[in-house]
Amino acid sequence: MRLDIAPILSTLGRHKLTATLIVLQIALTCAILCNATFLISDRLRWMQTPSGIDDDRIVRLMVSDIGPRADMHARVEADLAALRAIPGVEAVTVTNSLPFGPSSWNTPVRLTRDQSTPSLEAAAYYGEAVGETLGLRLVAGRFIRPDEYTWVDDHAAKQVRGSPVVVVTQALAQRLFPDQSAIGRSIFIGDEELHIVGIVERLARAGDQSRSGVYETLLLPWRMVTAYGGGFAVRARPGEAGRVRQAAAAALKAVDPRRVIIEKRLYTEVRDRYFATDRATTVLLAGVCVALLVVTALGIVGLVSFWVAQRRRQIGIRRALGASRIDVLRYFQTENFLLASMGIALGMVLAYAINLLLMREYELPRLPFGYLPVGAVVLWLLGQAAVLAPALRAASVPPVVATRG
Amino acid sequence: MLKMTHLAKVYRTEVVETYALRDFNIDVKEGEFVAVTGPSGSGKTTFLTIAGLLETFTGGHYHLDGVEVSQLDDNARSRIRNEKIGFIFQAFNLIPDLNVFDNVEVPLRYRGMKAAERKQRIMDALERVGLASRAKHYPAELSGGQQQRVAIARALAGSPRLLLADEPTGNLDTQMARGVMELLEEIHREGATIVMVTHDPELAARAQRNVHVIDGQVVDLAEEPRFHAHAHLANS
Repeated sequence: MRLDIAPILSTLGRHKLTATLIVLQIALTCAILCNATFLISDRLRWMQTPSGIDDDRIVRLMVSDIGPRADMHARVEADLAALRAIPGVEAVTVTNSLPFGPSSWNTPVRLTRDQSTPSLEAAAYYGEAVGETLGLRLVAGRFIRPDEYTWVDDHAAKQVRGSPVVVVTQALAQRLFPDQSAIGRSIFIGDEELHIVGIVERLARAGDQSRSGVYETLLLPWRMVTAYGGGFAVRARPGEAGRVRQAAAAALKAVDPRRVIIEKRLYTEVRDRYFATDRATTVLLAGVCVALLVVTALGIVGLVSFWVAQRRRQIGIRRALGASRIDVLRYFQTENFLLASMGIALGMVLAYAINLLLMREYELPRLPFGYLPVGAVVLWLLGQAAVLAPALRAASVPPVVATRG
Repeated sequence: MLKMTHLAKVYRTEVVETYALRDFNIDVKEGEFVAVTGPSGSGKTTFLTIAGLLETFTGGHYHLDGVEVSQLDDNARSRIRNEKIGFIFQAFNLIPDLNVFDNVEVPLRYRGMKAAERKQRIMDALERVGLASRAKHYPAELSGGQQQRVAIARALAGSPRLLLADEPTGNLDTQMARGVMELLEEIHREGATIVMVTHDPELAARAQRNVHVIDGQVVDLAEEPRFHAHAHLANS
């Protein structure tokens, strides 16, 4: 295989302006492509973050009761009984929050009563048997027992003292007690000392929290009431969540026809809404990448077409001197490969510069090295694809052009 | 070396057929220096482009160095152009973006020759045409005569069996033309086969043999009374 690298570089050196412009375009595309691909994959990975619950089997319902709020506990019990009676319902509770839901109930956690600055802010989940209902996986200890729950409103009114137990996630346990088992250890929430009785594999928090603390959550032994902003979490048998959603809404309405069902969603919909912005950003970034690639490809097609037209006689001379069609095709492909390589080399430096800027301004992680070869390969392939049509036109120039122009 | 028998070249459009060559016969022996003359539009350049495998022909036979070329595919024709034929064009046809060294190197690269051998051949060819010191110059930095010498060096570097020259002095002044012609004669004395198309009777007279082309056919001027004056001039 004959590669005319030296004469091609010499020729490009005689067309510095056009060559530089296309190299800069490729460099900019490479830099943006590497960073955008990284951001897209980062968002996609984030969107795949496990919630820790049985996503496909949970239904969330929110009601707004009209009229006096007397006997809240009895109302909740009646609602739960109505929901449990629906065929296909395995478990039900009232909870303050769901992973990737709209709001997170955060609470400062201390390791000692007199600790002035909390160790961290954990997201707290309330609701009787919320761990079992959502399908959390227990990895150590036990869940909170039924007799350990107290009503959250009684607790808030300080009418009762809650059981001193708490279940934490593995992530929270490791953060608080990195070198030892967390079971049996104490944490302080407000003035209350709580003993860790169980550890669950994972339970993501709701709200707009930093990703690093997404699993720093705990379960408190409090029964939630709807009047405090709680919603029903219903666990359906596999494949029955859709049907249970309709039946659950009807059942709650039957308990009190005047109430308003303000939300009845499958958990998968709750999750989709949470990641809607990430999804839109991903689509936007992908669109920008595609647009950039198209513009770059058109730039290459335009430049090479111009060069082919400009060098038509030169191509004829080369053909007359013994170049085959393949030689001419290879000439333009090699030329494009060299231009793309220069652009890619510059683009990689630019990619890291942009990444440093993004890290400083938007706290994004460092661009992994692996994205650079991906960007390089994409641009090399794009360049070769873009150059093909004009290069084939060049290869079809007959040798007689050398004598007749 | 080069033998065309009843060769025809027809350019066809929807309404008309134009015969550029018709029943064209020529036989150039190895080591000959043949000048092909004739008026403008007679078919001289068409003959040269077909002889150099730059164009295909419509009918007849063409044997080059014993090979019937009509059945050869594009790759084979390219290979023969590269290995057996050296071209010298009227307009020099150097590549303006390449320096003298790189221009002479072009056909050698297509032969897949190693770099060291290429360099040796290029410098030998440039020495021969007296331009070794201009190897790094670009064509635009040379005179017309020097550019044509570079083109001759490019043709010689590949050691071709056949040298085809199309009006090689057409763009040169008298002094430069004389220099180029002397170079061609020297190359011929060393054994090269040269076919030169020219309409200059003085140049044609310096060739071993003249072939006259009229209306796409080779004619014998001695049998064409209307060309006696021309023949007399060409052979004087």
